[in-house]
Amino acid sequence: MNEALAQLPGLAAAHLQLSLAALALAAALCLPLGVLAARSPRTGAAVLGVASVAQTIPSLALLAIMVPLLARIGFLPALVALTLYGALPILRNTVAGIRGVEPALVEAARGVGMTPAQQLLRVELPLAAPVIVAGLRTSAVWVVGTATLSTPVGAPSLGNLIFGGLQTRNPAAVLVGCVAAALLALGLDQVLALLERGVRTRERARVRVAGALLVLVGVLAAGTALSARLAPERAPVRIGAKPFTEQYVLAEVLAGWIARETGRPSEALHGLGSTVLFDALVKGEIDAYVDYSGTLWATILKREGPPPSRAAVLDEVAAFLAREHGIAVAAALGFENTYALAMRADRARELGVTEIGQLAPLAPGLEIAGDYEFFQRAEWRALREAYALSFRAERTLDPTLMYAAVAAGEVDVISAYSTDGRIAALDLALLEDERGVIPPYDALVLVGPGLQARAPEAVAALGALAGAIDAAAMQSMNLAVDQGGHTPAAVARDFLAGAGTQERGRSSKR
Amino acid sequence: MILLQRLSKRYGATLAVDDVSLEVARGECLFLVGASGCGKTTTLKLVNRLVEPDAGAVFVDGRDVRKGAPHELRRRIGYAFQQVGLFPHLSVAENVGITPALLGVELAKIAARVDALLGLVELEPARFRERRPADLSGGQAQRVGLARALAAEPRVLLLDEPFGALDPLTRDRLQQSFAKIRRELGLTVMFVSHDMSEALLLADRIAVFDAGRVVQIGAPGELLAAPADARVAELLATPRRQSERVEKLLEGSA
Repeated sequence: MNEALAQLPGLAAAHLQLSLAALALAAALCLPLGVLAARSPRTGAAVLGVASVAQTIPSLALLAIMVPLLARIGFLPALVALTLYGALPILRNTVAGIRGVEPALVEAARGVGMTPAQQLLRVELPLAAPVIVAGLRTSAVWVVGTATLSTPVGAPSLGNLIFGGLQTRNPAAVLVGCVAAALLALGLDQVLALLERGVRTRERARVRVAGALLVLVGVLAAGTALSARLAPERAPVRIGAKPFTEQYVLAEVLAGWIARETGRPSEALHGLGSTVLFDALVKGEIDAYVDYSGTLWATILKREGPPPSRAAVLDEVAAFLAREHGIAVAAALGFENTYALAMRADRARELGVTEIGQLAPLAPGLEIAGDYEFFQRAEWRALREAYALSFRAERTLDPTLMYAAVAAGEVDVISAYSTDGRIAALDLALLEDERGVIPPYDALVLVGPGLQARAPEAVAALGALAGAIDAAAMQSMNLAVDQGGHTPAAVARDFLAGAGTQERGRSSKR
Repeated sequence: MILLQRLSKRYGATLAVDDVSLEVARGECLFLVGASGCGKTTTLKLVNRLVEPDAGAVFVDGRDVRKGAPHELRRRIGYAFQQVGLFPHLSVAENVGITPALLGVELAKIAARVDALLGLVELEPARFRERRPADLSGGQAQRVGLARALAAEPRVLLLDEPFGALDPLTRDRLQQSFAKIRRELGLTVMFVSHDMSEALLLADRIAVFDAGRVVQIGAPGELLAAPADARVAELLATPRRQSERVEKLLEGSA
């Protein structure tokens, strides 16, 4: 809870900044468009049609699609998606507001000698203002709510607390994020409500107060963002994380390590989609993250067929990344996180199974469960063929349920991540892949070209983490988050405290 | 001063204005009268280009109104109409002073002019200046509308039933003060009305419209003496018939 509260001001400011920017942009676009649409029925139908379609796209999908469309992550795609999302109410109300102005008033405006622009600015817009502001209110509530979904595209928001909290089973963080987002939406809505009442009753004092409040909030939100941007040398080292517990912990470890070893500010960006991370690293939108050699082998080097040895994969991956993308492998952390088959330890003992090969003759009498993607992955095909596995049933389950099912004996075998803390917690046994069918998944710290140039000392510091985390350490850290209820940041701090003494001890010996 | 040459305006299948030619001399007050839908309002709006003609031309002060921007023309011509169209978001003073403000007249001068005009239309400036149109009665709003039309000191005034919503007493008083104002200021006026008494009392000349055409034009006396056809005669007879009936009633009660 305290952890989440500590992050709250920064995330709320980022959230507000993003929402206000999107609202301002939507208003700036939709007012003129709405005026045009109100003037010409054909333009009106077309513009409202496009805005309505944008509205029907699920908001998360709209945000996600902006990443490939704009070929970048972070503020920009979130801004564009939220602007589109917030457009419709403003547009629709602008059209309705202007069309709703009494014809006699338009005639009077022309009759007293107003130019078309004066008619619009002095008569039509002021009279349509209450309706337009009502649209702005609707839009504000939608945008502030939807902005929580900008976390997966790399724009920090209150969604960081919600997504991070869900992934790390931290309901307090989820609650803080949800409540804060709701309060933000309500607060903004109240300020706009004041503005709406002001323009409706034509009380200039009220309009001024509401306007001043909006400007103040905007300046505060923009100020916090600007102050970060005005000092580019002090720009924090940005560490990315794929959306699961281990990655959150590692991002905090790397960020904390850099901050302590180099004195540079650093931040862990949680919850980016795993597919956008590599591109973000190449483009310099993040500076470092942890990826796995087998994943890189398959998705970046696009290699198929049985992998060579662990060391050979590592060498080839490192050479390829440096050559093709200017990315350095700063360190292999010292553990693998691989897909592995797991059984309850007592059951494995009972059946006398320690290797996958021993499982094959028993498989027709057993059930296996996998996560959402396991049965579609190359690893499963390779395992099935190499060991001639044929289970009685294959079930796809949510990972949480999958672990519960194997622990309860409802299924016999599951696909597990080898570093998952629940393996130890539930007393599961990993079966050995004695033929080496599954590629090695060494955890590698990847560093982008930007950081290598900007802060070589940070790269060197990361290099010192080579071999610093073994599989047992990783498992226990994951467990501390998943079952122990600690935050990734707290777990990372504990690790760094321990690592610090070791490191200092080692360096003093040198 | 105002010259209408062979004006026509068509709305779909109906010819609202059919080959109308008229002349209003400097300082003259010409009434346009006729049944609803006879084309009198459309003809009026052709003068300040609220409606653009399909054929024909309009000259104000000898200048073709199509030369120059419409808004500049309209700032020189006062315009008041039955629905009034006071801007609800502006005060009475801001409504009255709108055209001078658009012309860039100094604020102090506008304020003085607004007060003078409010006095002229019998609205006490101190009481009405800061009111909102929503707080006015129909009659008060019409008077503000008339003041607005006069605010930029136009020499040409276009009025479309400006006294339509007034109670009889106020209407009578305002008609009289209007007659005085327009003589003092030497205004050239086109006045649309379907109240024949109003026309007979205020007009220098009356143009009788029917189905988009001018059926007869002349001074009230000329029209009364020699109506061009039965319809004109009927129209002119109404006020006399009414006043005779009223007199009979009055005699009966006396």
